[in-house]
Amino acid sequence: MTDLCTRSYRDTCHGLVGLLAFLLAPLFSNVSHAELLGLSETEMSEVDGAGIGLVLENFKFSHGTDEPDAAGNQARIFRIGGIKSTDGRDVDITVNHLYISGAGSNYGQNLGSVNLGRLINPWRIDLVDGNSIGIADKAVLEFAASSMVNSGDGYDCLSTAASAGSGTCSSRPATADYIGERADIGMQMNVAVGDDRSANINIHAKSAVIDGSYLRLWGDDNRRQMVGQFKLNFYSPELSVNACAQDGSRCGSRILMSDFALELAIGNQLQPVFFDVDGSGNFVVEVAAIRRPQPGEIGADGLRGSSNAEAWDFYDSYYTSPEFRSNLSIGNFSVGDRDFGSARVQGMLIQHLNIKTRDLGQ
Amino acid sequence: MTPTGLRRTLSLLPLLILSLPVTAELSRLGDEVLSGISGQGGIYLSGDISINEVGGPVENSYFGRCDDASKKCGARFAYRLKEDGGWMVLDEIRGNFAFEGLTLRVRNVDSGFAGDGDLFNRDVIELGLPNTVRFNDVQFKIAGSSTARPTDPGFQQTDIFSVEMQGEVMMEGNLLVFPAGNP
Repeated sequence: MTDLCTRSYRDTCHGLVGLLAFLLAPLFSNVSHAELLGLSETEMSEVDGAGIGLVLENFKFSHGTDEPDAAGNQARIFRIGGIKSTDGRDVDITVNHLYISGAGSNYGQNLGSVNLGRLINPWRIDLVDGNSIGIADKAVLEFAASSMVNSGDGYDCLSTAASAGSGTCSSRPATADYIGERADIGMQMNVAVGDDRSANINIHAKSAVIDGSYLRLWGDDNRRQMVGQFKLNFYSPELSVNACAQDGSRCGSRILMSDFALELAIGNQLQPVFFDVDGSGNFVVEVAAIRRPQPGEIGADGLRGSSNAEAWDFYDSYYTSPEFRSNLSIGNFSVGDRDFGSARVQGMLIQHLNIKTRDLGQ
Repeated sequence: MTPTGLRRTLSLLPLLILSLPVTAELSRLGDEVLSGISGQGGIYLSGDISINEVGGPVENSYFGRCDDASKKCGARFAYRLKEDGGWMVLDEIRGNFAFEGLTLRVRNVDSGFAGDGDLFNRDVIELGLPNTVRFNDVQFKIAGSSTARPTDPGFQQTDIFSVEMQGEVMMEGNLLVFPAGNP
């Protein structure tokens, strides 16, 4: 420990410090009745860095020019611009209505409140030990929605009348006496290409659940770059898209996707997604191809016995882990009064991906 | 008593009545009683936040005041995703947003939430959202850029999209924040 007093004045100084401590001690002694106890090594090793849990209670969000304000003028604007069509015309998306509401909103007409996240399984911002999630020796920043639970404890992800023990989702549907944790989400937008403002597109999702979704970010030593892993789970008993006349008086047929379940995985522990901006200022998202096995690493018969065990396990986990796969299933796809039956994409593995924005002006 | 004197006495009467409540003597609280009292309170916030409404602090060949059409007047925030790589940019951030009634307090949750409150039974920080937030010409752009500053040599930028917001946004509810361990 360093000494606060200089050598020449040490005695006087120590005396003063002692006197000061003696005078101040009664001031603090009232507060600090309880003695601080040391933690043993075993106790210390049990302490875990905790993250932040977030729950939105009675939440309701709405924005847009859908309804005129009290004075009758539509002053609210939410515009997304700067995009160009392939023939070089400006694309301007005016969001007429964006809402997050409780269940039973009737496509955003009657907004109610909803809880997002559960107190016992909240949305989280956390710094996770990479070793516990298969990312060796890294601290990983994680943004996560409520996690999935065992099927005995959870609720069916799609049914709006699901009861406890019916599925793996943690968020509960609304009941007669509880607003639930599943939100109605929707967006009505007007897409203008050049001067043509004719396209009004509405997207609504009823009783949406995003349990099990997360974004994990960390740094890669070799490429010295930010890498990540993105998982989006999106379940809705009814996802609909329709187009209307600009004044909303006439609408076309509604494209209805019932029991919509999307489980999208971009990047995984073995093959993370890289983010970059290249030298000309274009944004690049890349999932690098998995490394090829070295000659002799995998035996000719492809069995573990004739291969390098570590390499064989690496490829086995890459090709068999259901966590790395993306799934999409639609219970019934209908347009107007025509049913097209169900659709299903199962076990899609993104093996290589390279998306790059391009400036059409150049 | 003269009428004037009576009137003066009558006019003093309300003062006497008003003064009655403060006649009680303040009594001391014992240590034990005091230890049972915890500070309860919260913060009520109203805000009006402007970002580069007329222009930023930097004035050079690129940045300037907003009334100068040849200059950019919004704030710029650039971050790099790779060593020696390009920059991700939040550009031309400007506008004004105002809210009233953002509240901050500590609350004990031990009931409600369809049974979760009882299981949880802990303190949370409650951020009461302000019901409406007024946006006035709020805009920003997401872009990719070859250099951090637009005045650096070899500057090249691709705007990905821009967002513009105006008017009142409905934002109701409470944001509850609390520590959560690894599940």
